[in-house]
Parts: sequence; C-alpha cells; structure tokens
Amino acid sequence: MTVAAEATAHRSRRRPRSKRIAQASVPYLLILPVVVVITAILGYPLYKLVVLSFQQYGLAELIQAATSGAPAPWVGFDNYSSVLHDEVFWQVLLRTVIFTVANVALTIGLGTLIAFLLIRVSTWVRVPLTAALVLAWSMPAVVAVQIWLWMTNFENGVLNYVLTELHVGDYTGHDWYGSTFSKLAMVTLLIVWGAIPFVTITVYAGLAQVPRELVEAAEIDGAGPVRVFRDVTFPILKPIFLILTSLSIIWDFGVFTQPYLLIGSSAVDTTNYLMGVYVFIEGYAHSDFGRGAAISLLMLLIISVLSVFYVRRMVKMGEAS
Amino acid sequence: MVTEAAPSAPQVTRAVPRVASVRRARRRRMRRAAWNVVGLAVFVVVVFPVFWMVSTAFKPDNEIHSLTPTWFPTSPTLQHFRDAMARPYFWDTVKNSLIVVGVVVVLSVVVAFLAAVGLAKYRFTGNKLFVVLVIGILMLPQAGLVIPLYVVLAKYHLTNHLLGLVFTHLVILLPFAVWTLRGFIMGIPKELEEAAMVDGSSRLGAFTRILLPLVAPGLVATSVFVFITSWNEYIFANVILTDQANQTLTVWLSYFYGTSRATDWGGLMAASTLTAIPVVIFFLLVQRKIAFGLTAGAVKA
Amino acid sequence: MNVRALAAAVLVAALAVVAVGAGGAAGGSSANTLTVWLQVDAQSGWPEVVAAANAQFKAQNPGWDVDVQYQTWGTHLAKFDATLAGGNAPDVIEMGNTEMTKYSAAGAFQDLTAISFPNKSTWLQGLAASGRYGGKIFGVPYYAGSRVVTYRTDLFRAAGGKIPQSQNEFIALARKIGAKNKAKTFSPVYIAGTDWYVAMSFVYDYGGTIAVTRKGKWVGTLDKPAALAGLAAYKRFFNASSRAPAGSNESAPQPYDVMAHGNAASTYGPGWFTCCVGDYKNRVAQFVMPSHTKGQSIPGFLGGSDLAVPVGGDKDKAAAWISAFTDNASMTALRAKGNIPNTTSLLGTSVNERAARKSWFVPQSKNWVNVENGNVLRTMLQRILSGRSSIKDAASVASDNITYTLNQ
Repeated sequence: MTVAAEATAHRSRRRPRSKRIAQASVPYLLILPVVVVITAILGYPLYKLVVLSFQQYGLAELIQAATSGAPAPWVGFDNYSSVLHDEVFWQVLLRTVIFTVANVALTIGLGTLIAFLLIRVSTWVRVPLTAALVLAWSMPAVVAVQIWLWMTNFENGVLNYVLTELHVGDYTGHDWYGSTFSKLAMVTLLIVWGAIPFVTITVYAGLAQVPRELVEAAEIDGAGPVRVFRDVTFPILKPIFLILTSLSIIWDFGVFTQPYLLIGSSAVDTTNYLMGVYVFIEGYAHSDFGRGAAISLLMLLIISVLSVFYVRRMVKMGEAS
Repeated sequence: MVTEAAPSAPQVTRAVPRVASVRRARRRRMRRAAWNVVGLAVFVVVVFPVFWMVSTAFKPDNEIHSLTPTWFPTSPTLQHFRDAMARPYFWDTVKNSLIVVGVVVVLSVVVAFLAAVGLAKYRFTGNKLFVVLVIGILMLPQAGLVIPLYVVLAKYHLTNHLLGLVFTHLVILLPFAVWTLRGFIMGIPKELEEAAMVDGSSRLGAFTRILLPLVAPGLVATSVFVFITSWNEYIFANVILTDQANQTLTVWLSYFYGTSRATDWGGLMAASTLTAIPVVIFFLLVQRKIAFGLTAGAVKA
Repeated sequence: MNVRALAAAVLVAALAVVAVGAGGAAGGSSANTLTVWLQVDAQSGWPEVVAAANAQFKAQNPGWDVDVQYQTWGTHLAKFDATLAGGNAPDVIEMGNTEMTKYSAAGAFQDLTAISFPNKSTWLQGLAASGRYGGKIFGVPYYAGSRVVTYRTDLFRAAGGKIPQSQNEFIALARKIGAKNKAKTFSPVYIAGTDWYVAMSFVYDYGGTIAVTRKGKWVGTLDKPAALAGLAAYKRFFNASSRAPAGSNESAPQPYDVMAHGNAASTYGPGWFTCCVGDYKNRVAQFVMPSHTKGQSIPGFLGGSDLAVPVGGDKDKAAAWISAFTDNASMTALRAKGNIPNTTSLLGTSVNERAARKSWFVPQSKNWVNVENGNVLRTMLQRILSGRSSIKDAASVASDNITYTLNQ
C-alpha cells in the first residue's frame, strides 16, 4: 500500500482527530465550572493566606494596607516558630486529637447503627425517626447551643431536673461546665447529636445501592447479619465510609462554633481550647492576622496528616476504574 | 423447630408448614416490635432538643422562666410567633434565604455532579491532583478566609449583595459536593453499570442516563446537606451582608440574642422554629428518592 | 432525567443568578449617603431618637441620606475588620468603650479633637476617657450604664429592712436572709463567681488597680497589697451571699432569671434588670452598692458606648450626624429610657446615675482586649473562689499574664 493509502486506511479505522480531541477534552470540560468558580473566588484569599503567614500583619497593618497601600513587614518563619514554640499550641493539639477521635468514633458508630435501625423498624417508627434526624440536622448551630445551654444550666436546666427525678442522683445545682472534661463532654454530645443525621441518612442512602440478590445469596449460605455486613455490605459501602470518616475528621478537628459558644466566650481559655477556637482567639480575636494565617496553614498540614489514611484510599479508588 | 403431635397423616402434612410459618411470623413480629421500641427510644433522645425548642415557642413568658420545667405549655400562645414575624425585615430575610439557598443547591449539585463524573469515570492528567486540591480546600479552617474573601468580593462590588453570598457558599460547598458525589459514583457496582451500557452512544450521555438513577440517593443526601449548610451558614453571611434588608435568616436570628439587654427566649425559639420549616419541606420533597432506591435493593432483616 | 433536562436546569440556575445579581440587593451607597453602624439596642430601645437625628441631619444637609445599619454585639468587630480591609467601612460606628483603645491605637479612626460637639466640656469623665488616645479625641461619648443592687423588698423587709451602708452591714444582712431561706440554690445576693466587673469593683474600692504604666511600660498590679485586700473582701462577700458555682459567669444563667425563679433575694448588676424579674416586678427596688467604708459607694464599672468616625469616611458630615444624635434633646430622651447621658449637665439622681458618679475603667492599652479574650481575670477568680489557689498565688499568675499581654 502507498503511504497515502495507508494513511487513509488508518483514518477510516480510527476516529477522526478532531473527535478524539473532543473526546479527550470531555473530563476537562466537566471539571471546568468548578475550577472557574473556585479560582475566581478562592484564588486570591488562598494566596493571601500564605503570604500573610510570613508577614507581621496586625490591625494597624490591615488599615495601612487599605488606606495607603503600605506593604506589611516580612518576617519569614517568625510566625510559625512562635506558634511551634508555644507550649499551649501542643497542649491544644493533643487535646484536639483526642477530642476528634472520640467524636468521629461516636458519630460514625452511632450513625451507622441508627441507619441499620431505620431499616429494621416499622414505617410508623421510621418516619418520625427520620423526621427527628432531619430536624436535629437542620437546627442552626447557634440555636442548638442556646438550647443546650438552657437544658444543661446548673440553676434550672431540665437535665438536672430529669436526672434528679429519675433518682440517678441528686443533681440539683450541678454545674455541667465545672471541669474541663465536663465542658468538652458537653461539646461532644452536642456535636455528635448534630452530626449523626448526616451519617445516618448517607449510609441509609448507600444501603440502597447494595444489590438485594447478593444479600439474599449470602443469607441462603447461612451468613448472620454481622457476616453479611462484613462480606457484602461493607465492601460496597466502603467509599461512603471513607468519605464520612474523612469529612468527620476534618470537621471535628477544626470545629469552632459549638465549643466557642457552648463553653462560652467568657470561659474559653488555655485549659480548654480546641484548635478551631485557638486559631480564632490567637489570630483573629487578637487581630494578629499573620499569626492566624500561620496557625491555619499548620492546621491544614495536621488535618491532612490525620486523614491521610482515608484520603489516600479515596484518591486511589479512582485508579480502579 | 416445630414439634407437633400429628393427629393423622394428611393433617400433619398440611399443619406443619402452616404452624411453622406462623411461628416464624410471630418471631419476626416480636423482633420487629423490639426494634420499634429501640427506635422510639432513639427518637425521644434525638428529638428532645427540637421538642424543647418548639414547646418553648408556644409557652407564655412566665412558663419559660419558671424554675421547674414545664413539658407542654399549659396555655399555649402564638404571641411569640407574632412577635418574631413582626420584627423588622422578617419576610425580606425569608425571601433572601430562599433565593440564596435555591440557587446554591441547584448550581452546586449540578456542577459538582458533572465534575464528580469527570473525576470518577475518566482518566486524565491532573485527575488525582484535582482530587487532592478539592479535599485540601475542605481542610482549610474557614476563619482565616473571611477577611481575604471579603476583600475579593469588595473588588468585584459584591459586598452587601446576595450574589456575593451565593458565590461564597458555592466555593465552600462545591469541594464537599464533588468529594461526596465522586465517592457515591465510585461506589456503584460495576456490573450494574456495564449491564446498561449501550454501544455506540457517547460515554457522557450513557453515564448521565445510567448513573443518575443509581446515584440518586447520593444526590439527595448531598443536596440536603448543601441546603442545610447554606441555609444555616452564619459567619460569611454575617460579614458580607451589612444591610438588614439583604440579610439571611441566620443573621436575622442573631439579633434576638445579640443585644446587650435581656434575650427574648420565646421569640428566639419561635423564630428558630420558623427557620426550620423550609428545611423540613425540602427534605420531604426529596426523601422519596431515597425510599425508592431502598426498595430496589435493600438489606432486610 | 437526561442530558437535556440537566442542561435546562443549568440554564434556569444561570438565569436565576443573573436575576439575583440584577435585582438582589441595595447595592453600594451613593456618594451622598451616610452609613451609620449602631448596635441593635438603639433599634429596639430608642428608635425615635435615631429617627429624629436622621431628620435633623437631612434638614441641615440637603441632598444627603442616612443609612443606619444595626449590628449585634459579638460580631460587629469582625465585620468592622472586614470592611476596613475592603475599604468600605461605615462613616460612623458605635463602639463599646472597652473596644475603643485597640482601634484608636491602630489608626482606624479619624481625629475629632478640633470639632466642637454638644456638651463637650461637660462630658462624663468615665466615658470620655475611653474616646481619648495619645492626647487626641477619637470617640464621642454616646451613653453609659452602671451597676446597682436590685433587691426584693419583701425579703429584705423580713430580715430587718435597713439598706446596708457598708459591705459588712450587707454581709450581716445577707446572713440573716440566708437563715430565713435555706434552699440549696438560694442566694441572698446572686453574683456569678467569675463576674470580674463585680470583683474588680472590690479591688478598686480598696485602692487597688488592675495595671498601671510605669516609664512607658505596663505593669500588672493585682498582686499588690491593696488589690489583694480587695480580692479577699470579694471572696468573703461571695462566700457569705452567693450560691453560684465558682466557675459560673454572669450570662448563663442571667442574674435576673435567677431572681425571677425566686432563687435570689438580690443581685448586683446593670440597672435595667428590673425589666425581667418575672412575677416579682412589683416587689423590687434598687440601691447603690456600698463601699467597705461606711457611708460611701463602691466604684462601679461604667459600661457604655462611643461613636467614632473610621478612616475613609466623610469626617464633616459624620461629625454633623453625631452632633445631631448626641445633643440635649437626644440625651434627655436616652435618659428617659434608663440610660446614663453623656454629660454631667443632665445627670440626675436616679440610683443608676448616682452609682455612676464613682467609677473605674479598664487599663487603656491597645492590648487590653486580649486580656479579656484570654479570660485571665475569670480564671483567677475561679481559682480563688474554688480554693484551688491562694489569693496571692492566683493574683500573681494573673498579674504576670497581664504584664506580658499588655506589653506585646
């Protein structure tokens, strides 16, 4: 065959080049809207966050930058080293890690159990229970905190009243915010209560993807519920559990609203800071934006280390397809 | 299992299966009743704070501030609801919240779904990098972004403007939605997908036509999450929207307890109850998709 | 659902975005609009004063409009920071008096020294001091509130009745009331353990201070003998009269709620507490908290607000509006609502105002806010009242902390 003929034969067997380019560009087009939105809005703030972390940037510098455009002094790694040399930072880190582990375990564990509960109950129980979960989920954090404070206050809180009436003990006037452990336990209860609905509903939705035939096949083979879960359900639900766990770690590590408002802006101090509160107080309440940026980036680093196991699994999963 | 004295042969062969199935049915019913009890207990614990909020919204002031808690209002009143709705800008705020959340939910779910399909189903350079970037943004503490983001919006003249808030919510929620939907899409068993693939049609068309029903429950869960998060978002809404006429409901709520004088608890609870209503309505509208998916392939006890 | 439906949804959403963009919000202020940030207390408490000031300003400045945007305590500073960074700060802003110094020192405000505001020569000293920094005036006093004892007339009468003239007399009275009301949660005088506004009043009553400047540097002085005496007096008073936990604060529960529940015979707090004592509304009255010296009153914390003009705003027009808002007519109206006016010329003899005559204020350092945010004083008080530390040790730690923080 001549070269020209070969080329023609080639072209007629494969798709034309323009169509191939169109085909290859499909994924890029698919992610384009997300890229555009995020770059347009977050591009500059992310850049600024990094730059700030290397600057001495307080309220005065902020005002000068806006009025006269004077650049703030460059201090290299001073912000970072000052944070890393602060023993409070390490105490807060340890406390937050323990707090995160407890919260994530409780949230995912209880949330999954309730999802299975939802399947096993009759409709007349499932509907109110789902409604209750959605209502709990939809309550704004600030409102939930106010209600929690009210239910648990030492003077006339309903929690003390119920515990005393049920003869669990004499809880009249008991201060649930007396010790650091107690404070953080209250915060944990509040966060877990608000976080379970999302886990439950997502797992419940995921269970819909489990093909009935596989389950029945396993049950015919004589598998009990635990083995069915382990061998059939969990492998299919794995991506969902990875998502939920990674998200829970990220959120619980950096949570701010609930601890700050529940412990109270007048009672948060170095003995009960969590990372989210710490970055707010050290960076923004003090108006030391440079330091705040440094702590934020350190937090990013720490969270990525804590969740790397789950995140890597999720990222790698994409390679299978 | 079944041990019954057989009166006569024909009766035995007919009686044994019926009795056995009756026994099995009774055991199933008892198991179900036990689960129902557990379900009710969980219901009480989960719903209690919400119940407390709604119950307080209907109580007269003296019952709210009484020393011993009253479970149900003895003389329910609608006064708090009237007070809350009479507060300045209530209906403007409702309209603003609905607009922002409506646009954010539709845009973010659609855009995120497309991106998730691209990430989950296509190999291309930059796939993994983009996924890592998405999760990286999720990991950033939001506190640090408030002021730089405000500066960006000020440059675009979008401060004190609903559109500014819409874009802000999009950037906060898109990473989450992309991450979650990608996981859902990857979780669909390959057999289901391949069984429905038609040869010759474009990959993208096939994906959307086939994937959508399969991933519907995940889309619902994601959209509910986006709805709730955008509806309840406070930090950015508060900073970006300075004029009360432009604010959203969560910011409007903060005026109940942001005064230096006494908080109107009844009003706050009534207002909070009102703000929960659209969320519940939205969920009721979309939740059937989950139930439908469940009957298609669920685990039964 | 198919691709066409998807495209339709995207199109609808895009149109919605455009609609939101076009219709949405009020947009930026025109060149002739004065933007004023007041706290929501004005919106609910004295809206007619604001309206009158707006009308007066508009009449005197034709072609100008006023956009009053109400803010909430707790978040208005974060918003202010954002607008300063974005270059669209309001023309007038209400600041809490403890918040002024930090922003004045950072150059957030314009210099108002040369402007003659109404009653400038008779401004209430305790309030005016917060508006001054480096010899210049950055804030105009707006209004103030002091602290008084709100008490149950029936319970006090049952225990002897005389208004105490000294702290010792008050303690004796509290003991008598406690003997007649032995419930576990009942406090003769409900004071939250970490209420540092109350505790520091005791410190200043004995001549102590929180911190002073020496040779340009701040030195914490809570570990000096006078301050220690004050703290000891506070501890003695607290133990005799309050059943609140050592770590409790004054916002949860609210002291007026405690009184409404019948769990307190009295409390020491802001004067407006009488609004919210429930069924006892007709059985409460107020008196000025006594000093440890018989016949004198304790120095009270003067809370209040100032009005400032951020950089970038129109100074003359802003000052004109502030003048309209703080003139005699406005101040008289504010006083009628139970506030303390900003000028001694209008000061009356209500309990609230009498208590304001002797006052103390926080150290005027730009870093004081950080001491408050770090809850240094509250931690100290909790340690002292719970017995976990001796007064001297806790005060020492706090004092060192304050010295360090104020000198940052």
